[in-house]
Amino acid sequence: MHVRFSRKARSAIAIMTTLSFTALYADAPTAPAEVQKARHDHYHELGEQFKAVRDLSRSSNPDFAALEKSAQHVVNASIDQGQWFPKGSGPEAGKTRALAEIWTKPAEFEAAQKMFSDRAPTLLTAVKTKEVNAVRSAFKEVGASCKNCHDTFRSPED
Amino acid sequence: MTENIAPSVARVRIWDVPTRVVHWLLAVLIPTSWWTAESGNLEFHRYSGYLLLGLVLFRLYWGFAGSSSARFTDFVKGPRAILGYLRSGSAASTGHNPLGALSVIALLVLLLTQITLGLFAVDVDGIESGPLSHYVSFEAGRACAEWHDTLFDVLVWTIGLHIGAVLFYVIFKKQNLIGAMMHGRRACAQQPETPIQFASAARAIIGGILAAVLTWIVARGLELP
Repeated sequence: MHVRFSRKARSAIAIMTTLSFTALYADAPTAPAEVQKARHDHYHELGEQFKAVRDLSRSSNPDFAALEKSAQHVVNASIDQGQWFPKGSGPEAGKTRALAEIWTKPAEFEAAQKMFSDRAPTLLTAVKTKEVNAVRSAFKEVGASCKNCHDTFRSPED
Repeated sequence: MTENIAPSVARVRIWDVPTRVVHWLLAVLIPTSWWTAESGNLEFHRYSGYLLLGLVLFRLYWGFAGSSSARFTDFVKGPRAILGYLRSGSAASTGHNPLGALSVIALLVLLLTQITLGLFAVDVDGIESGPLSHYVSFEAGRACAEWHDTLFDVLVWTIGLHIGAVLFYVIFKKQNLIGAMMHGRRACAQQPETPIQFASAARAIIGGILAAVLTWIVARGLELP
């Protein structure tokens, strides 16, 4: 028996199939190793941008456009990092410096993340004032919020 | 009470003050650098590194302009002299023996390399960094930091070897090298054939100023005011 579909129906089936597969893959949980790798890459990029802010703000007359780009990246990261530590992506899933305390002390961890997301915008604000001293001191404050979290929730380098 | 020292044994002055001061400051600052890095106090780690850089620069200057016993031309010997010394156990010079010279050179080269790596190093977060790190990329700065970490182990082993060799002389050859490096004098059977020429204090002061200025410029990221 042959079932014949009209051209419209075939298109509709094709579209529906594509969409459902897309939805399926979008919802599929990512492997923990991938999450860890992505997280590592995010922080690597953040380190790079942090260095850029530091290097640029050495000058008394820095490139404020470049500074703003890097500061914006820092702000974005401070918001996005809330998504970077899903359950199951800790030391049990493979080599990571993320400590189990992240998941056993969620309130403290959230507070540490909040310190970063609260302070990151002050860096961007400082850049927009075009006052290099303000940028330098905001950089220090944001850096201290990084260190604050790392001291408790990241294992020391080996 | 009479002195028991045999009249033939003379206490000869061999190490000048700058050489001794540099030596013992290195002995204090290397552990300080280790400890400040270990405890995450990178601000003091940088200060300790700057002092070490100044000391090494001064010692290099002193190796060319200092007292004869501190000069590289006086004590750096080729493999033949080192082997000859190993066989006979006696050196022509009253200062560093040919084997000790290797220790001095190895430690100075390692220290200078270690300090240079530190100048370009960047921490994993891009927050803490050496004063010349803005000349290199994040990746290159990270690589310097990793080599800085690895080379420290080599430095520790070399220092261990140096201390081991000194203890060997103290215990088995009854030569108190540690005391000599503290008070500058050494018991010799006779006066050395070629007496040690001591450099003037003015020369040391000039070297000190040169080393300090150079270090200060490096610490500022090679930018002149």
